[in-house]
Amino acid sequence: MPPCAGDRLKPGAFIPVATAAVLLLGSSTLFFVFIGPWLVESVSVAFPICAGVTFFFVLANFTMATFMDPGVLPRASEDEDKENDFRGPLYRNVEVRGVQVRMKWCASCHFYRPPRCSHCSICDNCVEEFDHHCPWVNNCIGKRNYRYFFLFLLSLSLHIVAVFGCGLLYILDHLQDLWALHGTVTLVIISVSGLFFLPVVGLACFHLVLVARGRTTNEQVTGKFQGGVNPFTKGCCGNMEFVLCSPLSPRYISKPRKRKPVQVQPPFLRPEVVKQSPSKIPDNPIQHEVLSNKLHLKEKTEVPESIQLSTPPPLLPPKHNCNLLKSHLDSMEERLRYNRPSFSSDHTSSELPKTLEPISRMLGPSPQNEDVASTQARVCFHDYSSEPNLDRQNEVDPVSERSSVLQDPHLTSLNSRSHSLRHAHQQRNRPLLPAHHAEGLASNLPQKVLLPGGLSNRSSSLSYDSLVSSRPGEHRSVTSRPHLGHQIPYLPLDSTLGRLPAQQRHSPRTCSPVFMSASRHSPQLQDPSQALYDSLSRGVMASIQERKELVEREDPQAACTSDSGLYDIPSRRSLPPASLSRGPTPPAYGSREFLLSSAAYGYSSRWGLGSSSTSSLTRASRTSGSSLQSHMAGSGGQGRSLSPAYRSLDRQAPHCPPTVPSSTYAHQNLLTYSSGTDRRDPSAADTQGSPETLSGI
Amino acid sequence: MATEFHNLHDLRQGTSLATKVFIQRDYSDGTICKFQTKFPSELESRIERALFEDTVKTLNSFYCEAEKIGGQSYLEGCLACATAYIIFLCMETQYEKVLKKISTYIQEQNEKIYGPRGLLITDPIERGMRVIEISVYEDRGSSGSSSSRSSSAASSTR
Repeated sequence: MPPCAGDRLKPGAFIPVATAAVLLLGSSTLFFVFIGPWLVESVSVAFPICAGVTFFFVLANFTMATFMDPGVLPRASEDEDKENDFRGPLYRNVEVRGVQVRMKWCASCHFYRPPRCSHCSICDNCVEEFDHHCPWVNNCIGKRNYRYFFLFLLSLSLHIVAVFGCGLLYILDHLQDLWALHGTVTLVIISVSGLFFLPVVGLACFHLVLVARGRTTNEQVTGKFQGGVNPFTKGCCGNMEFVLCSPLSPRYISKPRKRKPVQVQPPFLRPEVVKQSPSKIPDNPIQHEVLSNKLHLKEKTEVPESIQLSTPPPLLPPKHNCNLLKSHLDSMEERLRYNRPSFSSDHTSSELPKTLEPISRMLGPSPQNEDVASTQARVCFHDYSSEPNLDRQNEVDPVSERSSVLQDPHLTSLNSRSHSLRHAHQQRNRPLLPAHHAEGLASNLPQKVLLPGGLSNRSSSLSYDSLVSSRPGEHRSVTSRPHLGHQIPYLPLDSTLGRLPAQQRHSPRTCSPVFMSASRHSPQLQDPSQALYDSLSRGVMASIQERKELVEREDPQAACTSDSGLYDIPSRRSLPPASLSRGPTPPAYGSREFLLSSAAYGYSSRWGLGSSSTSSLTRASRTSGSSLQSHMAGSGGQGRSLSPAYRSLDRQAPHCPPTVPSSTYAHQNLLTYSSGTDRRDPSAADTQGSPETLSGI
Repeated sequence: MATEFHNLHDLRQGTSLATKVFIQRDYSDGTICKFQTKFPSELESRIERALFEDTVKTLNSFYCEAEKIGGQSYLEGCLACATAYIIFLCMETQYEKVLKKISTYIQEQNEKIYGPRGLLITDPIERGMRVIEISVYEDRGSSGSSSSRSSSAASSTR
């Protein structure tokens, strides 16, 4: 058996394989000892020889199926993980012979699973062309050992038939002394073989059909190609040939060969680079700004990854990363702004400060509140109205610029905490560091601060009154929001829904000021890669979720069941099919970021994403810390696991990225949340703005 | 371990690892091992497009040869079956032979083409055949490295 990740040896896992081995060896040995000689004498010497050869094959294939590496894909290196950027989408589509196939992000292995690859929860490995995990050989059946497993089934079926047949012949020949030793043993042999005849032959026939159709057990059971086209089939004969005659694939997890190191010495040869002018200066100065900013943005988006790759993952104390996170947020904001063309351009820039003014006023006289609100307002205003300035800031010194704006040490430290979590997930030996730090920070949270955010046309139960209402149980959850909002300038300002002008409320898209600015200033920018937006919200969402968990850990009483119906979903594997048909998938919940943020808390997988194929993920999570599971599994009772910012993002997100793949298991949770919020009418929202419903939000 | 080796190597050579470019698999023809020949933008200023594409196409052809179902694979399968797969302990399979050829080819490419350009190709087998990892090195003395600039900016503000 190939070594399992983590080397978890469970005695129970060996029982089926030990049973199978004992039965196979024992029965066959008894057969050859007691019946073999009679066969040689009475029937033919060819019978025991053929039976022996068959038994030989059975043993060989059984051994290969048991001990051969099924095609385990090694974990991705940290550099590759950063390159993929955990803010990316959970799924990545790829075309295989004209058929769209979805590659899912594996939170344990940190790569997008190749087509037909699946993560085995028992072995905790991604296996190439994963068929199933067979308990009788205590091994995964995958690309490398499927042939041996298939041949084992065929040869075992033949062997069972042979043993049963010969044993029956013996019994029929020795009916008078059936209870002699030989007779009794033969009876035992034929009863064992008769018992296993149907299951083994049935399984062999099943796999025969699978091989002929070019499917794996996993695909058959999950119904992947039901009614659809299987892009991996090569025709019946081609499939049989592929299974039986293809060359043996290499092992991936093996020692790298010792090679002579290649000298990489400067000066480096460079190809002739044709310098292209970065932008054609259009007549329209605004367009020019937009285009130049877009190009700067491209550079910025490319550079951060290279920056990240150039240094090893810095697991610094969170406070040291706050500036990095700020610059990161800046780039995210810019990306968000320029990659969200779907928002209406109804809103004008002048409307935003108007909305923010009442927000600032509503926040009350608290200096801290004012500071946050004003800074938030400045941030928001700054984002959409002064893109060149923002861009310039980013170019010059994003850190110092932002440091003047973000003055709340708690906020910055929390910002840095979420940033550290990005890296924390890579350091599996330090999953609790950000958690501990965050808990400490959460306990030091200031009084409630309402964050102005984006505008949402969705009615919400999160009315301003309920948000602002001060209740002890809510303090923690409320206070967790400002920090989130501070990082997320586009958080909807739920409280102002009733106060917004009508045209803003009827915006077809739930927008933040940033989004509105994107649509307003750059409607022509149609970025096909919605993943950038997704990544922004996912990163933030991950931090939001972490904080919520912190809050809940601190104050379980604060968890309210008001929206348990909505938040119950994560604990379930299967979601109502209606949720699948909803609009574009909100990115946050099902994101890789979320998965990895969970990993940062010591969890190796995402909880209950609602997919049977992700059962491995949920299984793997059991070894992780308990608090997340208790949060998630009991999310029905902890409906307030989501902050209002979270919910608002849910509401926003479905409409924002139309090209985000929908109907993903991982996003079903968000879909149900958003669907739940969608169903509420404005009037109901007000009534639900009561403390008990909002306390959990 | 590899990273440490690279770091030591860099210090000696006066280079620093700037970034890593990952060439993803091309699944358009199924699950056969084939890499995308799309030229990554990060390498635009480092290597000629033709050289890169030539390397990837050659690697693809190697993998195609390794996975070819033909006479040799039939013989190998029958022999293995007949000897209860003990033959695998003694004999090198078709795939392993081609992998050795690939390793030699990559080593040669690194020495002749990529190394002089400050690039290093990592054998895909070390990454589970999922990606071709190309390490991009920068001259440590150069001031044009954006990575060093931003990292120094970040460190200065701490």
